[in-house]
Amino acid sequence: MRWIGACLVTAGCTGLGRHMAQQWRLRLRWLEQLRQMIYFLKGEILYGHTALGEALERVGKRCQRAEGERGSKELPLFFLSVARRIQEQEGEAFSTIWREELDPIKETPLKEEDVASLQELGKHLGYLDLDMQERYLLLYLEQLDGQIGYLRMHLKERTKLYTSLGIMGGLFLTVAML
Amino acid sequence: MDQMEQVVKIFPRKLRMMLGGAGTEHFQAEELRLRTGQPLLMKAEGEEWYLGADGTRWEKDGGRERSAPGYLVTAEDIRETLEYMSRYSLYAFDSELRQGFLTIQGGHRVGVAGQAVLEGGKVKTLQNISFLNVRVAREVPGCADKILPYIYEKGRVCSALVISPPGCGKTTLLRDMIRQVSDGWQDKERGRLVKGLTVGVVDERSELGACCQGRPQNDLGRRTDVLDGCPKAEGIMMLIRSMAPQVVAVDEVGSPEDLEAIRYGKNCGCKLLATVHGCSLEDIRKKPVFKELMAEGLFQRSVVLESRERPGQVREVLDGDGRCLWRYGQGQDAARPTG
Repeated sequence: MRWIGACLVTAGCTGLGRHMAQQWRLRLRWLEQLRQMIYFLKGEILYGHTALGEALERVGKRCQRAEGERGSKELPLFFLSVARRIQEQEGEAFSTIWREELDPIKETPLKEEDVASLQELGKHLGYLDLDMQERYLLLYLEQLDGQIGYLRMHLKERTKLYTSLGIMGGLFLTVAML
Repeated sequence: MDQMEQVVKIFPRKLRMMLGGAGTEHFQAEELRLRTGQPLLMKAEGEEWYLGADGTRWEKDGGRERSAPGYLVTAEDIRETLEYMSRYSLYAFDSELRQGFLTIQGGHRVGVAGQAVLEGGKVKTLQNISFLNVRVAREVPGCADKILPYIYEKGRVCSALVISPPGCGKTTLLRDMIRQVSDGWQDKERGRLVKGLTVGVVDERSELGACCQGRPQNDLGRRTDVLDGCPKAEGIMMLIRSMAPQVVAVDEVGSPEDLEAIRYGKNCGCKLLATVHGCSLEDIRKKPVFKELMAEGLFQRSVVLESRERPGQVREVLDGDGRCLWRYGQGQDAARPTG
């Protein structure tokens, strides 16, 4: 019985470590996908002069098709649901729609700070001229690049660290309890 | 969806609820005016109305003597309305804003005024926009019925110029002319069907077709190609080269470039349907570039509009030499073209 318990504790802690490592990888993948989507959006706005609703719909659909290969389906769905709300003409401010539709994104590998900066972007989209749109999008992309760079740089060491900590922690607890 | 319901829907939630509560849908509004710090005014049925202070009813405007000032429009209302009307994409209306208006879904035109930002002596954009004028666009199928027989001669369409002061319905008339010329129409007097023609429309301000994602929302006929949002002069050339139209239609011509493009179209064998601001043919002939074009006989017909009891009423139809073919109050004229 004791040995079964010891095995379960070790397996649980190892699983926790692996989960933490996987979250790091997933967050990186999500942010990369978000960066790609914002690049597409920038293209639609700056070069196509496309209205925000249509631009979000196009980008959402394009990325939804590519979703099978890598990345999440939640981000394209977020763009599509914002586009749908714009088409529905409910009379709300864009920042409200953006903020409300961001809610499901909060339950994802993205951290609070990622969601907060994405929410901040919603306050500046749509209003003002093309120059300002470009500046806000570039500023946001710069922030994303910084995050992605940091996550990539520490990817190997962190995944190794979380996995080893999980196993070692499990073993330590087992020894301590035995 | 009814036209007025559609118009109410272009306002943000707060104003929409007030306009809906005041029964705006039951009016045949021509325009709604929003000015910061001033009452919200509506022009409908030949009268001016203002929105009551509680926002639940429209009251007839009695000028400065009115008892209550009504609901006063705030700067926030204007900002939200502008943002909402542009579908949160004000950047997409940059070039239109520079000209002082934007055309929104449904073909309604929103005039804007505020503080102009200049660059190199030219208007770069408008900021601190404090005045909005929402002009309600309406399709009036059949409004060109009366004049159609006069713009055909020996079974062929003539180049026609619709002359009208602002707000007298020239765009509405041109839209119906395009539709009927494109679809073909029944000449009841002669009891025959006039065949439809290929029409190319250069819709610089999206008022004729009210295109949404490239598709016209207004009926412009089954043989009509629309070049949306393109400057008229360039668009006429593009359409003639690419779509081979038999008739080219444009709204509100006036610049020397437009007129040069019209001349080019005429020389390519196309017929033209165009509108221009003015009160009479004499007014148009006084304009330097038009004078030359009219002397060249570019337009074989002129249709002069006026606003009597309501907009869009035809005062007279003249031929290329200025002879009257039809005049309001005279009934059918003997000078109706043959064929």
